[in-house]
Amino acid sequence: MSALTTAAPGAPVVELDLAELRRDPYPAYAELRRTAPLAWVPSVGRHLLTRYDDIVHAEKLPEVFSSREEGSLLLRTVGPNMLREDDPDHRRLRTAAEPPTRPRQVRDQWAAAFERTAHELLDRIAGRGGADLVRDFAEPLVAANLALVLGLRNASADDIADWSRAMMDGNSNYADDPDIWLRAERATRAIEEAVAEMAEVTRREPDGSVISSMVHAADPVDLAEIQNNVKVIIGGGVNEPRDVFGVGAWALLRRPEALERVLKDPSAWKRVFEETARWISPIGMYPRQLTQDYEIAGVTLPAGSRVALVIASGNRDESVFERADEFDLDRPHRPHLAFGGGPHFCMGAWVARHEVSAIAWPLVFSRLKGLRLDDGATASDSGSAAGSLDGWVFRGLTSLDVTWQATA
Amino acid sequence: MPTVIFQLPDGTERKVIAASGTVLMQAAVSGGVEGIVAECGGNASCATCHVYVDSAQAELVGPPNDVEDEMLDFTAAERRPTSRLSCQIHLSDALDGLVVHVPEEQV
Repeated sequence: MSALTTAAPGAPVVELDLAELRRDPYPAYAELRRTAPLAWVPSVGRHLLTRYDDIVHAEKLPEVFSSREEGSLLLRTVGPNMLREDDPDHRRLRTAAEPPTRPRQVRDQWAAAFERTAHELLDRIAGRGGADLVRDFAEPLVAANLALVLGLRNASADDIADWSRAMMDGNSNYADDPDIWLRAERATRAIEEAVAEMAEVTRREPDGSVISSMVHAADPVDLAEIQNNVKVIIGGGVNEPRDVFGVGAWALLRRPEALERVLKDPSAWKRVFEETARWISPIGMYPRQLTQDYEIAGVTLPAGSRVALVIASGNRDESVFERADEFDLDRPHRPHLAFGGGPHFCMGAWVARHEVSAIAWPLVFSRLKGLRLDDGATASDSGSAAGSLDGWVFRGLTSLDVTWQATA
Repeated sequence: MPTVIFQLPDGTERKVIAASGTVLMQAAVSGGVEGIVAECGGNASCATCHVYVDSAQAELVGPPNDVEDEMLDFTAAERRPTSRLSCQIHLSDALDGLVVHVPEEQV
C-alpha cells in the first residue's frame, strides 16, 4: 500500500507553523484536541492524532496502524530497523536486542558503572561552581552508559553523542540539506565499522551487551541488522534520557518546595521521572501508516494514510490529567504515553529510569551544594520564556546553566 | 470459553468470558476491565498488567517464567507470592472460573 500524501476525505485541514510548533507546541495541541482531534496538517504532511484515548487505541492496533512508513527519513538515515517494522519481524529483532536492557540486568550488570561515570563527570566540574548540566553532565553520562550497554567499547562518549546528533539531524532533514545527509552518512558508516568489530569480539567472548545478545540470539540476526538497530538505538538513546534529566532538574530548581520534598524522600525521584516524561515528553510524536481503511476520531482514513501519534499532546489531555499543563508530583498516577505503547514500548525505559532517577538526579543534587539556575534560565514554563526549550518531534532543553558553591 | 473474574480494588468484580487460547491481559482489555494497563501490549516489558491470582488457584495457574519473574520485581504495587503478569497467563478451559485480584496501582 503506497503512502497517501494528502488529507483523508472529511479530515479537517489545520495550518500549523513549524517554527511556532518547535518553540511551544502545547497551545496548538490543546486547540486540536478541542476542535480537530484528527487533523491534516500540510506543513507536517500527516494527520495529527492528539487525544489520549485515540492514541492509546491506535497503539493497540499495530496491524492497522503500521510502523512500516514509506518515505520515512529514519529509514533513509539508518536503513531497515525494528522501529519501522511490524511483528513478527520486529519481534525477532526486539527479542534478540532486549535482554541487556531489562530491569534486573540494569540493576545487576550496569548500575555500578553508570554511577562511577556520573561521579567522574561531577569530579570534573565540581570545582568550577557553574556549568551547563545538559552539555557538561547529562549528555556525556547517557552517551557513556549507552556505549556500555550496547557493547561499543571501541567508541567514546563523544563519538556516541556526535553520531547521535548527526543521525537525528538526518531524521528531521525535511529540507533535504545535502550537508546534513553527508554528516549522517559519515556517522552511520563509523557505527557500522565499530559494530562489526565488536560483533567479532563478542562472537568469541559474550559480554552481556546488546551487540553480544544479538550476535548470540536463538533466532539468528545478521550483521547488517545488528548495525542498523544499533544505529537506531544510538539515535534515540542519547537525547531522550538527556532531555528527561534536563527538564526534570529545571522543573525542580524552579519549585523549591517540591525539590525539598524529594531530597527528604528519595523514593520520590521515581515520581519526578514519570511526571517529567509526561509533562514535556522527550519524544513528541511518531508516525504510523494505515494498512486498511479505518475510522478514528470521527474520520474514515483510507488505507495508506499517514498519521502522527502525538503522544506529547495525549500527555496533556485534560480528560485524563487534571491541570495537565502543570508539573505536579502529587497528581493521581495515570499511565502516560511518553514511552509509547504496544510492541514498540520503549526498549530503553528501564535503563533511562535507572540512570536518571536513581543516579543522575540524586548525585547532582547531593554533590553540588546550593545548586541554582543561572539568571535567564528562571523564566516561566512555556516555550519562549524558557529560552532553551526547543522542539516538537523531540523536545528538551538545549542547555541548563546552573551555579553552585564550588568545592576544592 | 473460560469465564474469568477480576476483583477490583474498590471491592466490585467484573466477569469476562474469554476466547480459549487468549491471554488473561487480552481478556481484561477487551472486557474493558479498569486497572489492567498493559502498556507494552503483552510482551512482558512494562510490568503494568500485574494481578494477584487467588491463592486457592495459584497452583493451577502455575509460577511465572524467568522473564516474567524478573519483571514482577518492578511492579508498582507490592509483589506477593501469587503475583503474575496477566499477559503471560494463557487461558484454557482448565482455567474456567479463575479469580484474580487487580492491584491498586500499575504505574
